[in-house]
Amino acid sequence: MELIHEGKAKRVFADPDSNNRVIIEFSDSVTAGDGAKKDAFPDKGSIACDISELLFSYLEGKGIDTHYIKRLKGPQLLCKKVTIFPVEVVCRNIAAGSFSKRYGVEKGIKFEKPLVEFFVKDDSLHDPLITMGALTRIGLVSRDVLQFLTRVTLSVNYYLSELLKQQGLTLIDFKLEFGMTEDNTIVLADEISPDTMRIWDNKSTSLDKDVFREGKGDLISVYKKLLDTLRASKPEDVEIVKEVVQVIVEPKSGIKNPPGEVTKKALMRLGFAEVDDVRVGKVFNIILKKPITTEILNHLNIMNVKLLSNPISEKHKVRLE
Amino acid sequence: MAIAVLRFPGTNNEEDAIRALSLIEGADPYLVPSRKGLAGLEKADGIFIPGGFSYGDYLRAGAVASVETITEGVRDLAEDGLPVMGVCNGFQILAEMGLLPGALLPNESAHFICKWVYLKVSDRATLFTEGLEGAVIRLPIAHAEGNYYCSDEELEAINDENRIPFRYCNESGEINDIVNPNGSVHNVAGVLSQKGNVLGLMPHPERASRQILGSSDGLLIIENFVRATKC
Repeated sequence: MELIHEGKAKRVFADPDSNNRVIIEFSDSVTAGDGAKKDAFPDKGSIACDISELLFSYLEGKGIDTHYIKRLKGPQLLCKKVTIFPVEVVCRNIAAGSFSKRYGVEKGIKFEKPLVEFFVKDDSLHDPLITMGALTRIGLVSRDVLQFLTRVTLSVNYYLSELLKQQGLTLIDFKLEFGMTEDNTIVLADEISPDTMRIWDNKSTSLDKDVFREGKGDLISVYKKLLDTLRASKPEDVEIVKEVVQVIVEPKSGIKNPPGEVTKKALMRLGFAEVDDVRVGKVFNIILKKPITTEILNHLNIMNVKLLSNPISEKHKVRLE
Repeated sequence: MAIAVLRFPGTNNEEDAIRALSLIEGADPYLVPSRKGLAGLEKADGIFIPGGFSYGDYLRAGAVASVETITEGVRDLAEDGLPVMGVCNGFQILAEMGLLPGALLPNESAHFICKWVYLKVSDRATLFTEGLEGAVIRLPIAHAEGNYYCSDEELEAINDENRIPFRYCNESGEINDIVNPNGSVHNVAGVLSQKGNVLGLMPHPERASRQILGSSDGLLIIENFVRATKC
């Protein structure tokens, strides 16, 4: 098999049977601290592969698009071939790891809402944290895509958190990577394993790579325990949540907007002299039965063209944030 | 000739339309509730979409009706050349369907306007204006969203293609801003489809179909429509 890419813990091969599929092989090696700490544990690749397989299937079942197609023999997954976005998306529910270090925040502090962070995927720069503004200025990823990735990441966070909660575990944080398939669908890619997330039990004991990072136990037995726990979970019991997206329709510039003009006059009568102009549009809160996908985004555009807006006089945008 | 007069939930001019059509010899208007879908159009030789407030004008006037099953049938028949006439909300529906160019925006005054207006009929021949070429006619309007809009390029194109049969004017036929009741570009009151068999008109010809109503000018347009269904 032709090797396409070699990462720290995985190798990607071309699928001899199809141009738009790849075979991802999980290795036994483990690295930490930007590659400073390195080791290998027999069977680790296989367990990480098992966990990724289980979680990708679970997320697919809840409506999230992933690159996962099927499990192959050995520590290998057959996946859709994607172009990976050069950004790692990290979602945090509780302060830990680099977040605690960066801001001097005590490990274990729970956030009111999950936090989504972006990191540039570039080893030579040591994968720095980056803002959405900087990412779009550099032109690495567009704002629309970043908002989409954020939404999907928050959905993944909900579904992973709920599944773990069922088993008395807490999802602290995790890292995702996304890719674009040959047919322009954005999918969740890479892996989802204890190598890429932090999970604590009810005594705040780690069931993830922190065991290796902090040298406090046997990695394989911890990973196995997590796998067994996940296998005992009941994905069907995790409720699917409805998600809201907003469609904003507004009059095109240059098109007269009488409702805005009368509203402006009324504001003037109330004494708000600072108002220069008012343009009245519409906001549609569209409640979806399942997480946002590229297909749903495409549907939202068709909905706009067919019904929600009149493209002759109005412009529309889908707001995901 | 069988003329389907469509009624969507909220349409309220269907009786006026049927009465006016009944005045024309050979016309056999019949009411088609939109829920009948494609079956309601089976025997139609022509289609009249009357005014009113289909679906309460929710979303945009005519928008919801424009995606009904029966409307898809109207599109197919119109593309086959069947005469179709949409008045007021009927015009808004045809524009929302994209069968006619442009869009009908809220009146520039932001008011509902109900009054008699004069229309200058194009002096070039169209299916709906035979015998009226160049005339000034008098019809009533009653709408809140009759402000016709299309891009400058589109306006130039439809003007060149003789697809603007009716424009707002004064009693002597002068077209200017003062007599423009709603802010329509180029004083457009009605437009035709590319093939010329679909007319959208904001003023109400069916309400000007007998002298006792104040004018019978509208009947001439309806007569032309009925004649076209016989072709």
